[in-house]
Formats: sequence, C-alpha cells, structure tokens
Amino acid sequence: MNEQFRIAQRIGLMFRYDQDLPQDMEAWVQSQLQAPSPALGIPHAYAKVAQWPDELQPNLAKRAYMWRRYRALKKQEREGKNGQDTEAARQANRRNHLMREKDEHKFVQRNVYGADQVKLRLTAFWANHFTIGNTFDTGNMIGHAIDEGILAKLNGSFADMLYGITTHPGMLTYLDNVWSAGERSEHAKGCHRRPNCHAGLNDNLGRELLELHTVSPAAGYSEDDIRGAANVLAGWGVDFQEELPGMRKKIGGMNHWKAYKKRWAEPGTKRVMGQLIHAGRGGLRQLTDFLANHEHTINYISTKLCQHFVSDNPSKDQIESVKSAWRQGDGDLPTIHTQVFKLAIAAPEAKFLWPMTWLFQVVRLSGATYFKGWEDIDNYNNQLMSSKKVLKELGQSFWSFRQPNGYSDDRVDWMSAEMFERRIRFSDAVYKNGNPRRSVNEIMDRIGAVEQTRAMVASVGASPKDRFITLMCSPELMGLEYV
Amino acid sequence: MSKLTAGRRNLLKAGAASLFLAGMPISGFTKGKPRGSISVIILEGGMDGLAAIPPIGDADLMRMRQAISPESYLPLNDFFGLHPSLQFYAQLMARGQASAVHATAFPYTKRSHFEGQNMIEGGGLSPFSEKTGWLGRALDLAGVAGRSLSLDMPLILRGHHNNDNFYPASIRGSARPKADLVEMIAMGHQMDAAQIFTKVAHKAKENEQVPRDPASLATYAGRAMAQAAGPLASVIRVANFDTHANQVEEGDPDAGRLARQLGVVDDVIAGYRRGLGSAWNEAIILTLTEFGRTVAVNGTLGTDHGYASVGLLAGGTLSSSGVVANWPGLGKKDQFEQRDLMATIDYRSVCAACLEKSLGLDHGLIAHQVFRQPDLPRVFEHLFT
Repeated sequence: MNEQFRIAQRIGLMFRYDQDLPQDMEAWVQSQLQAPSPALGIPHAYAKVAQWPDELQPNLAKRAYMWRRYRALKKQEREGKNGQDTEAARQANRRNHLMREKDEHKFVQRNVYGADQVKLRLTAFWANHFTIGNTFDTGNMIGHAIDEGILAKLNGSFADMLYGITTHPGMLTYLDNVWSAGERSEHAKGCHRRPNCHAGLNDNLGRELLELHTVSPAAGYSEDDIRGAANVLAGWGVDFQEELPGMRKKIGGMNHWKAYKKRWAEPGTKRVMGQLIHAGRGGLRQLTDFLANHEHTINYISTKLCQHFVSDNPSKDQIESVKSAWRQGDGDLPTIHTQVFKLAIAAPEAKFLWPMTWLFQVVRLSGATYFKGWEDIDNYNNQLMSSKKVLKELGQSFWSFRQPNGYSDDRVDWMSAEMFERRIRFSDAVYKNGNPRRSVNEIMDRIGAVEQTRAMVASVGASPKDRFITLMCSPELMGLEYV
Repeated sequence: MSKLTAGRRNLLKAGAASLFLAGMPISGFTKGKPRGSISVIILEGGMDGLAAIPPIGDADLMRMRQAISPESYLPLNDFFGLHPSLQFYAQLMARGQASAVHATAFPYTKRSHFEGQNMIEGGGLSPFSEKTGWLGRALDLAGVAGRSLSLDMPLILRGHHNNDNFYPASIRGSARPKADLVEMIAMGHQMDAAQIFTKVAHKAKENEQVPRDPASLATYAGRAMAQAAGPLASVIRVANFDTHANQVEEGDPDAGRLARQLGVVDDVIAGYRRGLGSAWNEAIILTLTEFGRTVAVNGTLGTDHGYASVGLLAGGTLSSSGVVANWPGLGKKDQFEQRDLMATIDYRSVCAACLEKSLGLDHGLIAHQVFRQPDLPRVFEHLFT
C-alpha cells in the first residue's frame, strides 16, 4: 500500500473514494489531530454529505426528559391506558423518546463520512477504554458520553477526560454509582431509622476506576483503597429517572453532568493508595487528578495505546517513549497521541483491524452507500439494515450490553471462523446493496495494492463481486501478514 | 411467582442474556470419542452462591442479608435451601440427577472480574498465565476438537487448532459465501488466518438453522451432543450476574435481577435435558463463575465482589443428589477477609472430576496438564459414587 493509505489504515479510516490525497503525511497527521469534528452524514441515500441536524442531537436535559417520558408511556402501555398498548403507539414511543438507534446511526455515519478520521479512531479507542455498556438507563446517554465526554475532550489532558467521563451520568449509571451512598452520609443515617429503607455504599465504579480506567491491578492496591475510592465517589450522579423537583432538591441544580448529592456523600477525609482526599465535592477531582498522573496509570494506558495502534506486543522501548511523551506533556492528549502515531507509522508489522474499523474503511474506500440516511432511520429497507443491526451482526457495538473492560485489542480474540465469515458476508452485502462507486481495479490502483493482493484478486476470476469480496478480505485490507 | 415468570419471559424476548455455546467436533478431525459429554455454563459477573443455594440453617444468614435472601426457597435439607427460580433444577434434584458444591472457588481472591474470568476459563495458576483454556486442553488430551457456538472463540475452549465456532449470520441482502471462493481467499492468507478461512470454506458446505435464545441453543447443543458422531463438550455464557444493585426487587426478595438470571440458568439446564434425550445419562453439566459475592448486603440492595460461591451440577452421570460442602460458617471470623464466604473446596477439583467422568481422562493427567497443579485434590467420589 502506498504511504498515504498505509498511514490512514493504521491510524485513521482510509481516505474516501473521492478525497484528494495529502502529499505531506506528517503535516496531515498534525492537522488531523486538530481537525474540526462536525457530525457528518447524509439525510437520505445518495444525498450530499451534510451536518446532522440539531434536533437529532439533544442535550442531556432533553435526553433525560425523553427517558422519563418513555418510561411513563411504557407504564401506560402495560396498564392498557390512553391507547398506549397499540403497536403504533409503542413504535411512536420508541421513535420519539429513545436515542440509542439515532446515536448509533450518527456514530456510523460520521465514521463513514467524517473528515476527521484520525480523531474518530481515537474516539473509538477512548470510548472503549471508558466503556459504558447498555444497561439500566444508559441507552439514552451513551451517544452523548462518546460525543461530549470523549470526542470533544481529545485535545485536552487525560486528567480532564478522566474527570469528565467519571462524572458523566452514563458512567455513573452504568457502574451503579447513582445509587451509592456513604455509610455515614446524612441520607444513609436517615434511611437506617426507617423500616425497609436501604442505603449504603456500592463499590462498582470505585473498583473499575482503579482497575480499568487508571492504575490497573499492577499497582497492587487493596480493598481498602477500592473502598476509599467508592467513598469519594459516593453522592456523585443523579438517577436519570428522577423528576425535576426531586433533582433540584438533591443536587441544587438541573445539570445531570457532574451532579453531586451532598446528602449522599461520605463525610470526612478518605485515603486512596496513600493519598489523602478531602471531604466534599472537590475530593473527586483531587482523586482523579492523583490517579491520572500516577506512574501506574501512565504505564498501563501507554501500553494499551501501543497495543491498539502499534503492535499486539509492543516493545519496552516503544512503551517508554509514549510514557516519556506523557510526562513531558503533563498528560496532554495530543502530545501523547502524536508519539503513538509516530510509532504506528514506523511499525513494520501489520496491525489487525477491529471489525467496525474494517467495515468503515471498506465503505469509505469503495464509495458505497451502505448505510441509510438519517431521515430514513425508521423506514424499513429490504437491502439496507439499520446501523444497530449491522454492528450487532458484526459483533462489535458501543451500544451493546458488555462488560466494563470493553473490546479486546488482542487479535487472538477476533480470530474465529464466524468473525471471518462476517467479513466475507459484509463485503458481499456492501458490494450488492451499497453500489460502490469505484471498481476493484480503481481501488487497488489508488491505494497502491501490493502484488500479492493483485494476484489473490486475479485468482478468483472475473466476477466483479468475487473480486470485491477477495480484495476486502485480503491480508492487506484486514491488517494481516502476507504469505 | 407470576411476577417472576413474566420477568423471565421479557428477558428472553429482549435477548438481554448474552449467550454462547460450544463443542461440536468437526467431521474428519475427530477420532474415536469417549462416551460422556461435558457442558459448562459460565455465569459472567460473579454469581451470588448464598442466594442461589442459601444456607438457611446458618443463623448468620438472616442476620447478614435478610433483605436479599429468597423467602419462598425450596428446602433441600435442614441446612440448605434452593432459590425459587431453579424449578427445573429442583425436579432434577428430586430424581437424584443434580447436585451442588458450596463454599467453593478457583484459587483467586483479588475480586477483579477480568482476572477472575481469565482464571476460571484459562485454568492457570495465576491470571493471564494461560493462552489456552482448561476445557480446550482437556479436549486436546482426549484427542477431540470442539466447536463453539458464538461469534468469538472463548478462552475456555482454546487449546486445539481444530477448534471451530459457529453462530449463524443474519445479514440482509447477503448470501452464504461459496466454498470455492473462500478456499481461494484462504490460499491468499497465511498461518492462523489461512486456517480460519479454510474452516469458513468447510462450513460454507453445511446448511443449518440455529436459534439464538439461550434455552433453544442449549436444546440444539444437547441434540448435537446426542448424535453418534456428535460433539463432546459445549459452553454457554450467561451474562449479568454482577448484582451490585437491585439484586432483588424492593419488598420482594424472590424477584429481581438475580431471580431472572437464575431463571435463565434453569431454562438452559432444561434445554439441555430436552435436547440430550437418552444421552442425558452420559452427560454432566456444571456452572462456572469468577467469584461469589459479599456475605453482607450493600447499600443498594445488592452485593459486591466476593470469593467463594456455589457450583451447580446436573446430568444423568450423577448418582445421587445433595449439597457437597465443608461449611465454613458465615460469622465475621469465618469469612474470608471479614467480608466474603470462605472457600473450602477447590472448584478446579470439581471441574477435574467432571472431566474425568466425561472424557475418561486420568485425574493425575488432568491435574498436571490441564490445571498445572499436580497435587490438585481428587473429589470424584463425592460427586459420582
């Protein structure tokens, strides 16, 4: 593959079929890190690329309102009231009040049409690092967390991103923190005086904050440290179902992000891994800053970045170079990312691509129209599936229920006959239903396909469909080694 | 009870339990096979053994966790009860075809899901020490490959290069690939990728319709294992046992998240029973979970990560029913680190006994080559005679 496409495959999503290619790739990488990130997509098939309309991108308050409304109408549906138990009413409720399918579709469209391909790859990495699975009420929040908690924070520091995502209602709900109360909090004390009232600590987020988001088990922290972190977190977050008056009373405001319920907070100072954390709202920022700059965090996440972009088994030197960029830039993400990309571009070995990354690249390279427009989300199409269904069949979606450790960066976890069969099937579907605007020969010439890929494509004969499938499932386009 | 049933049905319909199933040998790859079969149900998230099989005879139980202990449990004996969601399992117990092992765990005490899951699937001496799984290594020793019914290949089954997986696609507007095309693609790849595409080519010649819900998948697996040239092993993964919050419903400790998930497990066991038919007599099914949960209830009607839990066993190879346990007690001083149920039985020994029974492997060989622990105690007699 030529230099432009080799780099775009490794750290981006490939240049679209009609995009001009940059000459100076080093400058291109830098410009990509600063690229603006409007949510690009198409309103309907074959329309011009445009920005997603604002009304399909509601803020958190609106999302919470929609969720409460959805639940209320669901209740009426169960009770057979107000005509809510008809199929039409059920569908209207889903369409009007649930964001999951719209958000997932927006995510897919911007990955297919976006001009900020490198930032979108970084978004996928960090959204996976800070996994928010689809449970409880998170379906209406995940898309917001990815856009506002990850993508919008790529040009700041790791400490800012960590604090932002830890206090996002999506994370606070997914890992149960919205229901956690300090054992000695006013709320718990009041509750313990009443019969059948339950209140107390839930250490789920405290544990994963240490294990998955920052220092990792290599740091050798204890159960007391986990409990300490959970005590710092107690009081953070407000239930998405909470009605406005209750919310105002509990957090003294209307913002779900960084919502803090003082009466649920554990009083007194806490200790986490030797660090004294002050009581009160400021304690969490103190804790996340302490963790963000911890040597074990720097080591753990530098390694993870290398495993995602550089090699399944990065060398000690490679990891060290990212760690030193981290320290020099004081956790500045663009500085860290620049060093990771330097290594990725210089890496000699292939890097296997995640299923979703591969699919986005296939669609961009070929100029296929494989995803519906945003105006057609709810219209059945006998050729094009919803983005939700596509990602589900592909076996990788940020809107699925999954465990907080997210998707693996180790290729062995993706090497299975069914996973590979999906690549063949989706190549087939993109060719037949997506109407690619570039032929296999045009694509191979444009990317500078290697001789082995050309020979492989030639070996399957003259059928344009078979040639398309073969090219997309070649080692070169899957990120695998050559014979 | 009606509430419980409705909840369970909704769950299955919504597909909220993610499930995987495994263990079909690939024709041509498999030598003469042993008579038994082994099926593992992985309960992901850390299953609360004290709620599944509550030790009702232990006075500390109600003191520590009244709010989350099932009320209408089925008494098994003076000391242990059974969660009301496990109805089919209870019938099996009455017939001497189900047993439980309590206060048991893999030797892992650090309470991380991901280290724990790696230990219980990898079966190594420490987290991430093994690249293959204990069932995969045992199948390799027995000379048979397995097939997994999932999109990915679970760690527990890795260990044999002829292992394969199966999970039918449902992609609008695309056809099953032609075998000759896939064979050409395989030739363009090398090493493991070439092998995998070759398997895709083999499968392109088959034509099977398989359902995706847990119970139907279990039935399907059972039927496959019952065939003369059928598979020896299968694995099903049931998620969502990480019951930090709302483990039970407020005011109804027989309902809630855990009740629903145990209901799924009960359905899976019933599905196996249906599918296996007469092969049930040679079958053993066992559950596996990364850890149990805290003895005390937490502040959100749930429990946090703990240590020992319970293992549920079912199958015609069991000769009698009962709860096998060396009960450690639930008092503060009896608990592991003053918070968790202590483990007094190494669950690897239970897995080893099931392998010995189903695959006909020698215990010493299993201890040494599967679990890397030559002095692993043998508990075979406690379960199978």
